[in-house]
Amino acid sequence: MIKVTGLSYFAGMRPILRDLNFSIEKNDFVLIFGQNGAGKSTLLRILSGIVSAKKGEVMIAGKNVALYSKKELATMLSFLPQSDEFELPILVKDILLSGRYPYRSIFKKLSDRDNDVYEKGIERFALGDLLGRNIQTLSGGERKKVLLATAFIQDVPIILLDEPINSLDPGSTVHLKKMLEYLHHEGKTIVLVSHEIEHFFPYANKILALKNGEKSYFGEKIFSPQLFHEVYEVSFQRTLIGGKEIIYVNE
Amino acid sequence: MNKKIWLLIIFIILLLVFTPFLGIIPIEIKSIFENNPNSFIFWHLRVPRALLGFITGAILALSGLVCQNLFKNNLATPDLLGISSGAAAGAVIALKFNIDLTFLGVGGLSVFSYFGALSAVFFISLIARIVKNSSLYTFLMSGVAINFFYSSIIVFFQYIFDYSNTFSLLRWLMGGISVAGYKEVLFLSVILILFLIFIFFFKREFLLISAGEDFATSRGLNAVHFRIYSFLGLSFFVGAAVSFCGPIGFIALVVPHVSRVWGKGQYIPTVLFTFLLGGGLLLLADFLARSLIPPVDIPVGIVTSLLGAPFFLTLLIAQLKKTD
Repeated sequence: MIKVTGLSYFAGMRPILRDLNFSIEKNDFVLIFGQNGAGKSTLLRILSGIVSAKKGEVMIAGKNVALYSKKELATMLSFLPQSDEFELPILVKDILLSGRYPYRSIFKKLSDRDNDVYEKGIERFALGDLLGRNIQTLSGGERKKVLLATAFIQDVPIILLDEPINSLDPGSTVHLKKMLEYLHHEGKTIVLVSHEIEHFFPYANKILALKNGEKSYFGEKIFSPQLFHEVYEVSFQRTLIGGKEIIYVNE
Repeated sequence: MNKKIWLLIIFIILLLVFTPFLGIIPIEIKSIFENNPNSFIFWHLRVPRALLGFITGAILALSGLVCQNLFKNNLATPDLLGISSGAAAGAVIALKFNIDLTFLGVGGLSVFSYFGALSAVFFISLIARIVKNSSLYTFLMSGVAINFFYSSIIVFFQYIFDYSNTFSLLRWLMGGISVAGYKEVLFLSVILILFLIFIFFFKREFLLISAGEDFATSRGLNAVHFRIYSFLGLSFFVGAAVSFCGPIGFIALVVPHVSRVWGKGQYIPTVLFTFLLGGGLLLLADFLARSLIPPVDIPVGIVTSLLGAPFFLTLLIAQLKKTD
C-alpha cells in the first residue's frame, strides 16, 4: 500500500529524516513512535503528500505520491493533523461533507453514493446531534470524532493520524480508539503517530521506531524493552491484566 | 430564510428610498417629478450616491470575508493587510501621470488600482513565505509595514508633482463616495455581481481553505494554487472599489465579523449578511457623513474609521488574550 525507499528530509541543512526504507501492507495498523523532534510528524506529512521528500520516494498503491493530483490523492488517503483548532466558524455538517470533495466536480450536486457514505458516517459515529453546530464550539473529543468521521466519509483506504488522543479525556480516548478499531476492521490501513504507546501498542500489528530521524526498528510488533529504552531512554514493562496487554513506563 | 435577513433587506430598502430626500437641502416628494434643481439633485446626485454607497460597501465587506477565509484569520482584511493602500497607490500614480486607459467611459483607474492591490498581495505572500509562519502577528506587522510603504509612495507623488488637484486627491484618499453618476453605479454593480458569483461558485473551496491548509490539502484541494487564483480575483474586486471610492477603512473588518456571528458558521447566510450589512452600513455612514455637520461633506472614510477603530481594538484585545 505504502512503500518508502531512501527517504530523507532536511530543514535547511539540518537533517530531519535519514534514509528511511519500509513498506506498509493493506490493512496494517502501524504505530510510529519516537522522542519529540524525531521526525514523526514530518514523516506523516510526507506520506500524506503535503510536504515532498528531499530525497527518495514514496509510493502509494504503486504510484509515486508526487505524481498524484491533489484530488486523486485525496481518494487514496486522509490525513488528520495534530492541531485541530479552527480559526473561523464552520458548520460540522460542512466539515463532514468536505470528505466528499475529491469525488465531486464543480457543478455536480451530491451523488447517491456521496449521500449514502455521508449518512452512514453520521449514523455509525452517532454525529446526528452535532451537525448544526459550529465546529469551534465542540469539545476536543467531539472535534476529533468529527474529523475521524470525515476521513471515513472520504472513503479512503489509508488513514494517517498525528497524535489523535493528545489531551483528550479518558472517555473520549476510549471512544476514539473504538472508532479506529472499527475503521481497521473495515479494512482500512491505519498509520498513526503517537507517544501514547500504552494506548496504541495493543492495536498495532507493525511498529516503526524513530530516533533522530533514523529508523531504529520497523516490522512486526514486538515488545522489546531494549528498543523502547533505546528510543525513549526510560524503561518500559509489559504485563497482562485480564488477558489485556498493558505497557507502562517503569521508572 | 432567516428572519434577520428579511429585516435587513427591509431596512436597506427604507434607507435607499428615504436618505436621498434628506440632507442639507431637504427635498419634497412631489418636487422630484418636476423639472427643477431639486429634482436634479435627487436623481443625479443623491440617488446614484446612495446606490454607489450600498454597492461599494457590499464589495468591501465581501472582500473582507474572502480575505479572512484565505488567511483563516478574522483580522486579515484588505485594509489592515495593506491591499487597499496598494490599490490607492496604484490609482494615485495613474492620476498624477495622467495615464488614461478609460474603457467605455469608466475603469481607467481600476486597472492601476488592480496592479497596486496585486503588488501588495505579492509582498504579503513573500513575507509569509520567508518567515514560514502565518500567525496573526506576522500579518499585522507586515500590514503596518506595507501600509507605510504605500502611504509614502502616495505622499511622494503628491509632493513632487503639482498641487492642483491635491485637495480632491486628499478627499478621495480619505475615502469618499461624493461624485457619482449612473455610469459608475453600473460599472460597480457588474463588479459586485461578478464577485458574488465568484464567492458562490467556489463555496466548497472557500470552506476548505478557511479550515486551514492541511485540512484543505488532505481533502484534495490544491491550496497553494487556489490561494493564488483567489488573490488575483480579490485584488481585482478591491482594486475596482478603491479606484472609485478610495480606501474606505474598517467596513471589511467589522461587517464580516458580525455576519459570522449571525450566520452561525453557515456559509450562504454569512455571505448574505456580509453583502447586506456591508452595503447598508456604508450607505448609512455616507448619509451621516454628508448631513452631520452641514454644509460640510465629510469623507465617509473618516466616519467608518471613527466607528471601526474602537471595534478593531476590542477584537484585537480579545484575540491576543486568547493566544496568551
